[in-house]
Amino acid sequence: MAKREVVTQKLQAMLPEDAVCKDDSFKAGVVFSAQVPIGKLREAIKACDESEYYLESITALDFQDTFELVYHLNCYEAKSRIALRVLCGHDQAPATVSDIFPSALWQEREVHDFFAIRFTDSPDMRPLLMPEDADYYPLRKTFGTVHAYHKREKIYG
Amino acid sequence: MESERVEPVIRFALLDQILNLARANSLWPMTFGLACCAIEMMAAGASRFDLDRFGAGVFRPSPRQSDVMIVAGTISKKMAPAIKMLWDQMPNPKWCIAMGNCAISGGPFEYEGQYAIVPGAHLIVPVDITVPGCPPRPEGLIQGLLALEDKITGGEHRNYLRRFRRMGGKG
Amino acid sequence: MAEQFREPVVEHIYTLNLGPQHPSTHGVLRVLLDLDGEFIVKADPIIGYGHRGHEKMAENRTYKQFMPNSSRMDYLSGLLYNHGFVLAVEKMAEVQVPERAKYIRVICSELNRISSHLLWFGTYVMDLGGFTPFLYAFDDRENILDILDRVSGSRLTYSYCRFGGVTRDIDEQFIDMTRAFVKRLRSRWSDYHNLVTKNVIFINRTRDVGVISADLARQFGIVGPNLRACGISFDVRKAEPYEVYDRFDFEIPTGANGDALDRYNVRLEEMEQSCRIIEQALDQLPAGAHINEAVPFKVRPPRGEVYFAFESARGLTAFYLVSDGSPYPYRCHIRVPSFGNLQVLTEVLRGMLVADAISILGSIDVVIPEIDR
Repeated sequence: MAKREVVTQKLQAMLPEDAVCKDDSFKAGVVFSAQVPIGKLREAIKACDESEYYLESITALDFQDTFELVYHLNCYEAKSRIALRVLCGHDQAPATVSDIFPSALWQEREVHDFFAIRFTDSPDMRPLLMPEDADYYPLRKTFGTVHAYHKREKIYG
Repeated sequence: MESERVEPVIRFALLDQILNLARANSLWPMTFGLACCAIEMMAAGASRFDLDRFGAGVFRPSPRQSDVMIVAGTISKKMAPAIKMLWDQMPNPKWCIAMGNCAISGGPFEYEGQYAIVPGAHLIVPVDITVPGCPPRPEGLIQGLLALEDKITGGEHRNYLRRFRRMGGKG
Repeated sequence: MAEQFREPVVEHIYTLNLGPQHPSTHGVLRVLLDLDGEFIVKADPIIGYGHRGHEKMAENRTYKQFMPNSSRMDYLSGLLYNHGFVLAVEKMAEVQVPERAKYIRVICSELNRISSHLLWFGTYVMDLGGFTPFLYAFDDRENILDILDRVSGSRLTYSYCRFGGVTRDIDEQFIDMTRAFVKRLRSRWSDYHNLVTKNVIFINRTRDVGVISADLARQFGIVGPNLRACGISFDVRKAEPYEVYDRFDFEIPTGANGDALDRYNVRLEEMEQSCRIIEQALDQLPAGAHINEAVPFKVRPPRGEVYFAFESARGLTAFYLVSDGSPYPYRCHIRVPSFGNLQVLTEVLRGMLVADAISILGSIDVVIPEIDR
C-alpha cells in the first residue's frame, strides 16, 4: 500500500470526522490537509513518523484572530505531501516535535524568531536568524509595514 | 568615519612614492564575501578575469595579513560588529572597497520597513572605492581595484589619461 | 602503583570559533566547535549573519516586484528559483504558458544547475587544498554565463522568467552556443576524472567521511544530491513533474554509502544528466511565442494558497504562497534545502577531525544566504 494511504488511514482514525480534507487536483501541493487540534499535534506527527514521512517545513500564518501553524510532511514517493494545520491562539504554546523529528528544532526556532510562538519542552529556543538582542518579531503583522491583516475566514472561508 | 584614517607622522617624498607604488601593485585582499557579490569576486580571481596579473590575486583569509577589505554583499545587523572587528584587526595602511549595491547603500533590500540590514558599509568602516552593480561584473571589480591603485599612488591627479578618460577636462 | 597511570587525563574542551569569516564557509556561517585535541565533541552551527528579511519583503512587494529577491536567495541557482517562483504564482493564478517558453525555461534552468555544480566542484576541491580544478571549473562556468548573459542580461542574479513565459526569446546563436558548450563539457569529463576523481589524496579525504545513513537523512529532512548519495532515489523532477520534465528521458544518479565521495559522484553524474536534458529539449524545441501577452501587469491570484516544490541545485525547494486576492502576497515562506542539510552537521560532525569537518561541510553544498533568507 502506498505510504500516503497508510498515513491517511492513521490520521482519519485519530482526528474528528471532517478534519481531513482531500485535494485530488494537488493544486495546493498536498494530497490532503488535516485540521489538527493543538492537543493532538504530537500524536499526529508520530503517526507520520511511523509511516516513514519526513518533516519538510513548519511555518506560521498571522491572522487577526489566531495563529495558524502549518506542518508540511512528505515522503520519498511521488505526490505524497500532506499538510497538518494547527490553530493556535496568540497566547498559546504548542508542543515541540523536535524529539520525533530533529529537523523540527531549527524550524521551531525560526517560527519563534519571527512570530514569538513558544514551543513547550523544546531543548533550544535561542534565536536562529535574529541577533541575540533582538526584541522584535518581524513577521507579525503588527510589526513594520504591512498591506493586509485579515481574519482567517477572509482567506480560507 | 574619515576621522579614523591614520596619517603617518614622518613623511618622505621619494620613498613614499616608491612605497605607494609597491603597495598599489601588490594589494592583498581579504576573503570577505557575504552574499552574491562574493561569487563575482571569486570569478574575478579565477581564470578569465585574472586578478593575479594586477598583483591582487592572493586572497588572504586572515585580516592581519591583508591590505584591502572588499566588502562584497549585504551587511546584516548581526554581521556588523564582526565587520568592525575585522577592520580593526587589519594593520595600517589599509583600504576598503565597497562592492555591490548592498555594500554601498543597502541595494535592493533597502525599503521603508527593512529591519535586518545596515544600509551601506560606509556606516561601519571608512570606504575608499565603491563599485556599483548588482552584482558588478568582474571587470567592474577590476576597474575598482585599478581606481584604488590610482588613489594610492596619486595617479588620479597626476596622470589622468593613464587609466580613465575623464569627461570634460581634468579633475 | 600502575593504577595511578591508568587514570584518564582530564579532558580539556577547547572551544574553537569557525567563522563567520573563513575562506571555506559557503556564505557567512559560524560553527562553534568544542574540541578535544583535534576531535570534535560538539558542533553548533550559528546562522543568521546573512538575514535580509526576504519573507517580510515579500509581504510588501507585488508578485512581480519579488522576482529579484527570488534570485538573490540562493544566488548560485538564481534562474532555478526564478523558475520555481513563477511556476508557483502561475499555478495559483492559473496562467497559461506557451510551449516554447516552457522549453526555454527548462533549458536555462538546467544550464544554471550545471553552473552551480561546477562552482561547487571547484570550491570543494579548493577547500581540500587543490587549487587547479577551481580554475578549470570556473572557465567552463564562464561559458554558461556567456550564454545566459546574452539572453537575460545578467551573469549571476537573473530575473529572466515572467508570469507567462520569459522576457526575451532565444535565437539561433543561443542554440549553437549551447550545443557547442554541451559538447565541450562532455570532453572535459575525462580531465576532471583524471585530475580529481582518481586522485588518491582526494579519495582518502572523501571516502567514508561524513557518512549519513538513510534514516538520519529522513529524520533531518535532507534532500537533493545528499539524499541521493544515501541511496534514496528521490528527485522532484520525477516525483512531481512540472513544466515539461516528463517528456525527457533522464536518470537519477544515486550512491551507496552516503559519504562525501558518493555526494561528489552524484553531483558529477547529475551534470551529465542535465546535459542530456538540454540536448533533448533543444531537439524538441517548438516554434511559437515566448510569453503570454494576456497576463495582467499586476497579477492578482485568487484567495487561497499554493505549496509548489521544485528541484534546485541543492535539492527540493518549495514556495508556500498565501494570497488574499490582492496583488501583494499575504505570506510567502520558502522552504530551502540547505536548512535540513546544514542541521545534520550537529550529528555528523561528532567524533570527526577538524579537517574532516571542512570536507563534510563542503560536500554537503550549503549556501548560507538561502538558509538565512
